[in-house]
Amino acid sequence: MNRKARFVVAAFLLAGAVGYLMYSGVRQTAVYYFTINEFLAQKESLANEGIRVAGRVELGSVAKKMTPMGEELNFRLGEFKTDGSNDGTVPVHFVGIAPDMFKAAGGSDVIVEGKYRDGMIYAQSLLTSCPSKYEAETAKP
Amino acid sequence: MVDVGSLALVIGLVLALYAVGMSLAGAYWRKRDFIASAEHAALAVWGLVTIAVAALMHALVTHDFSLEYVAHYTSSTLPLQYVIAALWGGQAGSLLFWLFILTSMTAVVLLQNRERNRELMPYVTAVLMIVAIFFLAMLNFITPPFQRLAFTPAEGQDLNPLLQNYWMTIHPPSLYIGYVGCAIPFAFAMGALVTGKLGDQWIRTTRRWTLLAWFFLSMGNLFGAQWAYLVLGWGGYWAWDPVENAAFLPWLTCTAFLHSVMIQEKKNMLKVWNMVLVILTFALTIFGTFLTRSGVISSVHSFTQSGLGPFFIGFLGATLVVSIGLLIWRLPQLKSENELDSVLSRESTFLLNNLILVGIAFAVFWGTVFPVISEAVRGIKITVGPPFFNKVNAPLGLVLLFLTGVGPVIAWRRASARNLQKNFLMPVSLGLLVGIILFASGVRHYYAIISFCLCAFVLTTIVMEFHRGIRARQAMVGENSLTALLHLIGKNRRRYGGYIIHLGVVMIFLAITGTSAFKVEKQITVKPGDTFPMGRYTLRYDGVKSHETPHIAYLTADVAILDHGRQIDTLRPEKRFYKKPQQPTTEVAIRSTVGADLYLVLGSYDEASKMATIQAYINPLVGWMWWGGVVLALGTLVTIVPSRAPARAPAYAPSRGPQAVATE
Repeated sequence: MNRKARFVVAAFLLAGAVGYLMYSGVRQTAVYYFTINEFLAQKESLANEGIRVAGRVELGSVAKKMTPMGEELNFRLGEFKTDGSNDGTVPVHFVGIAPDMFKAAGGSDVIVEGKYRDGMIYAQSLLTSCPSKYEAETAKP
Repeated sequence: MVDVGSLALVIGLVLALYAVGMSLAGAYWRKRDFIASAEHAALAVWGLVTIAVAALMHALVTHDFSLEYVAHYTSSTLPLQYVIAALWGGQAGSLLFWLFILTSMTAVVLLQNRERNRELMPYVTAVLMIVAIFFLAMLNFITPPFQRLAFTPAEGQDLNPLLQNYWMTIHPPSLYIGYVGCAIPFAFAMGALVTGKLGDQWIRTTRRWTLLAWFFLSMGNLFGAQWAYLVLGWGGYWAWDPVENAAFLPWLTCTAFLHSVMIQEKKNMLKVWNMVLVILTFALTIFGTFLTRSGVISSVHSFTQSGLGPFFIGFLGATLVVSIGLLIWRLPQLKSENELDSVLSRESTFLLNNLILVGIAFAVFWGTVFPVISEAVRGIKITVGPPFFNKVNAPLGLVLLFLTGVGPVIAWRRASARNLQKNFLMPVSLGLLVGIILFASGVRHYYAIISFCLCAFVLTTIVMEFHRGIRARQAMVGENSLTALLHLIGKNRRRYGGYIIHLGVVMIFLAITGTSAFKVEKQITVKPGDTFPMGRYTLRYDGVKSHETPHIAYLTADVAILDHGRQIDTLRPEKRFYKKPQQPTTEVAIRSTVGADLYLVLGSYDEASKMATIQAYINPLVGWMWWGGVVLALGTLVTIVPSRAPARAPAYAPSRGPQAVATE
């Protein structure tokens, strides 16, 4: 029994270790994920937090400049309806290489990850979501 | 052909239902002819699914764009190999392909067991056919592959260019074979629980199936990593993307199962644990298919967003409730016949290995579903990225690597001081030596030092085992070293095959350590003629050329690699513009050496200024991952191929071992 108890203790220690690793991992790396409208509603309380925001690039808002560090992109992110209207936008700054699917004209659906500071999102990464035409968007009932 | 295909799926569903009913009724009333009829029906289901696959393949190859599936995923200019790969490139097709593998494996199992495992077989047939019914129902009612379009488009939309790659054509099939293979041990385990034949016979019967499934899961994961490395162009091979995790999870529990069954076979312990692992592995394969196909967690892979979710979750839930229920019902009969003797023993090493593997699986699962859970509980979507997975898994992975060295050579029951000294003095010394050398040469990445130490430690234990075996044979039979080695492996395939697999694992750990600790990354914008340093080389950008085919337009950069002013190579990273789904893709250029890969990406190009942004990476030791995969495959082959006649007999004997007899 004593021996068994020792194994139970060892298993608990291990479970505790895994649990601790996971807990501290979440604490250190968790990032809030918002849609653009959720973000706009509470952006001032999110300054300097790690955030991911999903939205659509405003048509014609993309300014592109080649720098020694890569492309510098400035654009406005919002939620754009079919008629082109929106409920507000936020400027985004990104230096790096835009993904293949990022359209210079705007209109791409993107996820930006970074920090919000002084009225602008400084993005460390810029991802494009897959365009809907590759998805089986209608599963027939 | 198309109508034949959809008709085959309808009849297939009916016959699968019939097979389940008849085999359960046959088992209950002990009617042999019922059971035989059920098995024939199951074989017919396989035939019908094969017809459906052939019909869809025919439609794909003949470019029948009146079919939604064909129009969606192919075009008339798509090269033939990708037209064929489109069978598993889309949702309905991949589910059909899944079902095809399942029913084919069912057919093989039925033919293999015509004379064997007769009491288990009705339940095995029933379980496999229930899984088939689930997929048949989806194919008939939710995502029919033979859906016609209202009008026939002149041209198809083409396969996503990211999928138009060699590795992507073989990655999904091998992953699916791995997924589906896990259903076979699960079905036998359920049969064992229902019939109460809980000895290790079901484990012996399914050992090869488990190994086969594990092999294809391993290869599927490595092919996926290779694809990500070559196609996605971000310099890495593993991003902890939900869909990657979905393929990794069953691999972890399957690996745990392969190890813990050895304890059951040798010591009659861990029976409940093994059942849990089999159930978990099967559930995770369904979960994996669900994640890939439902798009529930946003991911680069979620090419689909559809109404499959509730069906998968329902099936998954029902599977877990029924199988765990059966397990609890049989709990009294699953008592261990032995107890663990000592912490320093092979049994407890294996147990620890299992706990760590399951711990990793739990952490990966948690990290994968975290956004969904946090959204449900707190209303905010919180994601954890690669740093979470790396932080949690690095220490656990290192303990696992350590156990890889300890497990095979530590004594059963209780390790004596002599056993420890004989087997571990040398490996530990060499491991420490590697650590000291690395530290003295200025390496301060502690995880990397520990990992390299452990690699040396494990490698030494393996080499010593081979060395001992060869010496023993030479002393006894006087063979030369090579013959002795071959005979050694041939006489004990499981053991030495296992060592070879471990060797592959060590190589993969080397690659993971090299790339995660010592990767160099640089991004630079240059004009033609500019040079910049990269590692020990100097790179010179020589400008961009373009050319076109009907399918693709190419933009190719010339980058010269200079070693002390002398040009040793030219790399040509590329941008491609696919014409049908108008989409650019990135084609990386790689110069591989044993020590490191130089990996170049043409990031962007400005026509007016002729300036290009180039991303350059040095990925140390990354090639060892692919070669490690080859070694792992060789090891599995050694383990899985039946030995010659004498050793073969037991595996084919109808019921073997005192345990199996005792429970009958």
